Parts: sequence; C-alpha cells; structure tokens
Amino acid sequence: MSWAIELNHLKKQYKNAWAPALDGLSIRVKEKSITGLLGPNGAGKTTSINIICGLLQADEGTVQIFGNPISNTSSNIGHRIGVVPQQIALFGNLSAWENYQYIGTLYGLPNHQVKERATYLLERLGLIKHADKRVNRFSGGMKRRANIIASLLHNPELLILDEPTAGVDVQSRAMIHTFLHEYHQSGKTILYTSHHLDEAEELCEEVIILDEGKLIAHGSPAALIEATSGAAKLEDVFLSYTGRTVRD
Amino acid sequence: MKKTIATILKEWILLKRDLGGIALLFLMPVMLIIVMALVQDAPFKDYQELKFDLLLVNNDKGRLSEDIIQGFKKSKNFNVVESVEGKLLNDSLLKLYLEKGDYPVGIVIPGGATAEVVNAANTLANELSQKLGLGGTVPAREARNTAYVRLYFNPVSKPTFRSSIAFAIDKYVTYSCSNLLVERLSKLSAMQGDTTAPSTNFDQLFQGIGVKEEMLHDNLQDKKLINSTQHNVPAWAIFGMFFIVIPIAGHMIREREDGSAVRIILIPNTRFMVSLGQILFYTLICMVQFWCMVAVGVWVLPLLGLSQLYLGANALALIPVSFAIGFAATAYGYFIGTVFKTINQALPLGAVSVVILSALGGLWVPVELLPSVMQRIAALSPMNWGLDAVNTITLRGGGTQQVLLPILYLVAMGLLLWLFSMLYEKARKVSVQ
Repeated sequence: MSWAIELNHLKKQYKNAWAPALDGLSIRVKEKSITGLLGPNGAGKTTSINIICGLLQADEGTVQIFGNPISNTSSNIGHRIGVVPQQIALFGNLSAWENYQYIGTLYGLPNHQVKERATYLLERLGLIKHADKRVNRFSGGMKRRANIIASLLHNPELLILDEPTAGVDVQSRAMIHTFLHEYHQSGKTILYTSHHLDEAEELCEEVIILDEGKLIAHGSPAALIEATSGAAKLEDVFLSYTGRTVRD
Repeated sequence: MKKTIATILKEWILLKRDLGGIALLFLMPVMLIIVMALVQDAPFKDYQELKFDLLLVNNDKGRLSEDIIQGFKKSKNFNVVESVEGKLLNDSLLKLYLEKGDYPVGIVIPGGATAEVVNAANTLANELSQKLGLGGTVPAREARNTAYVRLYFNPVSKPTFRSSIAFAIDKYVTYSCSNLLVERLSKLSAMQGDTTAPSTNFDQLFQGIGVKEEMLHDNLQDKKLINSTQHNVPAWAIFGMFFIVIPIAGHMIREREDGSAVRIILIPNTRFMVSLGQILFYTLICMVQFWCMVAVGVWVLPLLGLSQLYLGANALALIPVSFAIGFAATAYGYFIGTVFKTINQALPLGAVSVVILSALGGLWVPVELLPSVMQRIAALSPMNWGLDAVNTITLRGGGTQQVLLPILYLVAMGLLLWLFSMLYEKARKVSVQ
C-alpha cells in the first residue's frame, strides 16, 4: 500500500493554549483516495493541514508526503501538492484570468500551459463566461470555485481542501462535488475537511475523525456507520465519538 | 526572474485599478509642491527679490539724507516712500502707518544731520591738516551728537530683517561720512594750492573695492538658487516618495487579510521573487513620482510666477539618487506593512512617521535654519540624506561621485529594512484558514 500522507506522532502546542492542538496524532491517507478529515472546532484539522503544507512546524513527530519527509522548504514536494485554503486566496482586483496567469507563472508553468489548463478548469467549474471579471465582483459560490481552480493549475497529485463548500449555494456545491469526484477518478489524492458530514459521506472513500488533537476514528463511512450502534448516517457516528457538547 | 516580472505586471494592474492610490502617489505631492512653493515664495524672497516700501521722513534735506536715499534706491530692494495718500510724512504719521502694519520699516533722518557730519569731517580734516603741516582750516565747531538716524519697524518684523536694514543704513552713513571727509581734505589741499589733490570723485576711487558674492562653481553663476522652488520641489517630491508607505503597507496587509498572501506562501520557492518584484515595482513608481515632480518644478511652477527648478549641470546624477530614495521609501513601506498586523495600526503610524521624518529631515524648513541640535538629528533622517544628495547635484554642482555616500546610506537602509521584513514574514504564523 502506498501512502500519500503519513503523519506520525505529531505534537503541536500553541503558545498560551490550554491544551495541545495535536497530541501525538498519527494518520495515513492512501494514495489516489479521497479522504475526509473531520472533527469539531479545535480538533486539530487545520493545524494538521498547515503542517502538511509546510506552513507550520510540528513540535514533535514526522510527516511524509508520497514517502518523502517534508520540511517547509521542500519545493519538490510542494509542487505536487495543491491547497485550497478556506479563505478566498485570490487577488480580488484582478480578473480570474489575470489571477491564473500570475499564479501559473509563479508555479513556473509556461504561458500556453496556464492558458490551456485554466480554460479547461474554468469550463469545468462553470466560470468561463466570467473569466474576465474581477474576482471581488464574483458571488460567494463563484469565488469558491475560482479558488479551487487556482490550486489546480499545476495539476497536483495531492489536493488538500479546507472547507471548500463553506457558504456556497446548493448548485455550486454540487458542481464542486462532481468536479472533485472526477479529479479523484483521474488518479489524484484528495484530502478534504468539512463540517458538512452528509457531503463527506457522499464523497469520501475514507474518513478520519479527530478530536482534541487525537485520532478518534478512521475508516470508510459505511464501515464506521456499521460499527457504531444505532448510527444511520455519518453524522450519528461523528456525534457518538465527539459528543454533543458545543466546541468554541 | 519570470516570477519577478509577473509580480511587477500584477502590481501594475492592481495600481492602475486603484485610482485613490494613484491620486495619493502623484496628485498629493504635486499639490504639496505647488501650495508650499507658493506659500514659501515670499519668505524665500525675503532680502533677495522682494521690494519693500520704506517710509522716510527727511528732516535733513542735505547730503547725508541724499546719500542714504540713493543707497536704498540703488539696492533695488526698497521703494522709498516720503508721502502717503498725498500727505508728506512726519514722525507721528510714520509711526502710525508702522503700527497699523501697512509698512515694514520707517526711517527718520533728523534735521541738521548733514551739518553734523560736515562738522565732524571738517574737524577731522583740520586735525589731519595740522598734523601733516598743510596749514589752513575749514570751519568746525563742537560736536552736538544729535545726528542719529532713527529706525522704526513694524513690530512683527523678523530680527534678521531689522539687522539687515540697520547694517544698510550704517553703510550708507559711513559712505557719506567718508565721502565728505575726502572732499574736505581735497578742499584743504586746494586752499594750499596743491595741484595733486584728488581729481576723481569718491565713487570712482573706491569702485574696485567692496564685497561681491561669487558662486562656488562656475556652472552655477547667474543662477538664483535659493528660492522656494529649489527647496520645495525636491523636498515634497521626497516626502511624496516616502508616502508610498501608505499604499504599500495597506496593500500588504489587505493581501494577508484576504488570503491572497497565503496563496503566494503555498507556492514553493516564490516568496523572495515576489517580494523582489514588489520592491522593484514600487521603487520604479517612486522614481516616476520623483521625475514627475521635477517636471512640475521645471514646467508648471514657472507658469504660476515661481522660479523654474534648476537641475544643475549633472542632472543625470539624479537618476541613481531617485533610485536610492525610492528603494529606501519602498523598503520602509514594506517594513511597516510587514510588522503591523492591521491597517488601522499601520496607516496612521506610517503616515505620522513619514511626517516626523520629513520635519526632522529638513523638508519643511531647510536644515540650515534649524537649531544646531535639530541639525544633528536631521542627519539621521533618510529624507535628509535624499534631500542633501539632490541639493548636492542641483545647488552645489556635484555629480554622482559627490552623492555616493547618501546613496549608500539610503540603499543600506533599504536593504536592512527589506531583509528584516523578509525574516519577520518568514517567522510569522500563517494558516490556510
């Protein structure tokens, strides 16, 4: 079995935080899988993603991407990862085209490749007609889709999405799901965080549930539902493991 | 390098779409230059080009008063006024007009002043005649000591103005006295039948002796350099360049807040090239700003009745100077945009710091006019380094070699701030959230 992501005994304690963000977390994400990283607020999802992307360093433990240890300067691995941040990480006063031309150049892609790739992705995510509009004039759903496109220009083998459907309408969400499914089908690995458990259940082959910086459960949605008494859907499994206490 | 060029193009597109930012970068310094040059035109012209009305009460009507009046007329800075609204001035009218603030200065030449000077000259001539054994005398009496020329000023007149008028009158009185003394000596000689008595007049005798201002460099001759334009154009151009701190810092913080900065960080091996692109772009904008302001000084200010900006014989040396100032200003903006978390912190502090540095750096008032302590402090302001470099080229006839030191200071400051910002940025906690 080859692993796209391996986190081994990761520990991370933020300054002035009352509890560790990651407390010896060990998880593995299969290559060419689509995996949901789930957990209540403060479970350690974003910290894990920040460490995988090289934005943050763990206090202890190791990270391997496609079998290679990662450091925050590891450019070869960096080029194989695409990250869709929760924020709209685009230049609002540039058009979608201008954003992609710039970001593509920063990835070192030749102009024609950026053009081809951006055109394909804009068409697939329903934004081709709006390519010349400034991003800050897009609706919330359009911005989310434009944000995803920017992370896919270099055709990454591993796509990490942090709440890609937060605040979008049903149509945009459906379009994003369809696209992610297709992207996965093309042999890519997707790690996906969301608070929409129905979405994760529908989209993911595997889910990882974290709480208080630890791994709580890991498996396919169907297997987890079956293993949890009285659970009919993934949300029941999630509540069974993480409880009903509100997290801030 | 493609990443850097792409960043320059991206910044250009963003700036084009930010009309407020363009106005801040270009219109604000133009307005400052025009307004400040107009406002400071009169103070700069003090004692140089301005013509003052000088009230005069001439109770003497003799040689001394004639010499004083002629002296003021020759200086071209004074318009001698002896009557106002058809009324001949007297002591009380003169004081009234000065108190009302209508005129800056008034002079009263007392009656009998010339007689007193003639008496003094005669006394001296007699003494000299006796000592030299010439024989003969001219009429002389006991000195009365009542020939003081009285000087009155508008109470708001500056001390330097007062002293320059007093010096001028003193000079004219001395001239008159010397002239009379020579005449008396000539008269005594003539009484003795001395045919070697001076045949030329006093003015001709001393025309080759006196004081004449010369420029330090031949290429600056005949230029009226110390004027409002020459001070204000470089000063406010540099101020405007440093005001780039506002758009740069605002832009950087907005990119961090809206998440687009995270996008750059997520792309491997990109941060430095992007940062270089931003620094180069804004440095270029600063240089364009500088040369636009120079163009305003050369072509626009003369249309408003102000002096034309003189660039000196080595105007091309201003190119590396404008680069160094622009680079330092850009790096300062980069630094402010990096270390402050919010726009509300960065922009007021950035703006206030630029105003303070400009005041300390002699942009508002020439450093030469500041107290000695402030002059020492001014030497620490990067704006002063920039202004000094510009003045070296335009006013002192210097070239690139003469401005290497200020250029070095500015570039070193820029590099340090940029390096610090890069390290600070690298250490900053960034999240995909």
